[in-house]
Amino acid sequence: MIEIETTGRTIDEAIQKALDTLGVKRNNLDIKVLSEPAQGLFNLIGAKDARINAKVLFPPAQYLEHFLAELIKYMNLEGTVAVEEDEEKIIASINGKRIGSLIGRRGRTLNELQYLLNTIIKRQFSGIKKMIIVDVEGYRERREKTLTQLAKSIARKVDRLGEEQVLEPMTPQERRIIHLALKGDNNVITYSKGEEPYRKVVIAPR
Amino acid sequence: MKQLLEHIVKALVDEPEKVEVHELEGESFIILELRVAPDDMGKVIGKQGRIARAIRTVVNAARTGDKRRVVVEIVQ
Repeated sequence: MIEIETTGRTIDEAIQKALDTLGVKRNNLDIKVLSEPAQGLFNLIGAKDARINAKVLFPPAQYLEHFLAELIKYMNLEGTVAVEEDEEKIIASINGKRIGSLIGRRGRTLNELQYLLNTIIKRQFSGIKKMIIVDVEGYRERREKTLTQLAKSIARKVDRLGEEQVLEPMTPQERRIIHLALKGDNNVITYSKGEEPYRKVVIAPR
Repeated sequence: MKQLLEHIVKALVDEPEKVEVHELEGESFIILELRVAPDDMGKVIGKQGRIARAIRTVVNAARTGDKRRVVVEIVQ
């Protein structure tokens, strides 16, 4: 739902109803007053409610794209932002020259940025369930390949030594890649231990 | 730097018009003093400082043109 009409005893009341129904912030709404409220005789006879039309200016994906483009500009970086959206997630891909500082060591900055954006989108659009994924210069795909190779080589080591190995702390997304990479492995099992953000994957003999 | 921090924080809080940032430049640091409405304090800090940490990491990834670190101080 992107556009609605609401009524209220005052214009403010009608706006508040629109904000509650749409679950967005005031600065993301375009409001048109369709009719002013009228008091009527003794506040009873002929009283008329205020009526407004409220339109969401930026739906989540566009909001995210706009927010990130501004963010990059304020960071004195040069890059372009493209967003894709499906039923479960919104993916924002950032590309540009010398934009590696947005990734950081082992993706730390990128993961913190993604956490921040997930928080922001949830606050700006109450009730949204979609996950926000941010990628810079194809880093996520490269990291997925690296983690899959790492998982397989450590699994061989675990099998050879018969001892479990604990990996470095990873984000839920990264741990999922490790679990998936070894899901069909006949020699090892995987599980996670510890608390976020230091939760780690353990690879153990089966 | 000031605009960057304002951009992020205004998207996190309920009262963006009450967000204030003062920039203090030192030799090795740029200090950003952040003030928000009292009810919004928790919204910029987060559980166990999780949100404040993410804000600091992102702000420090900005290109400042020199090697100075950016310090974000949340002021009551």
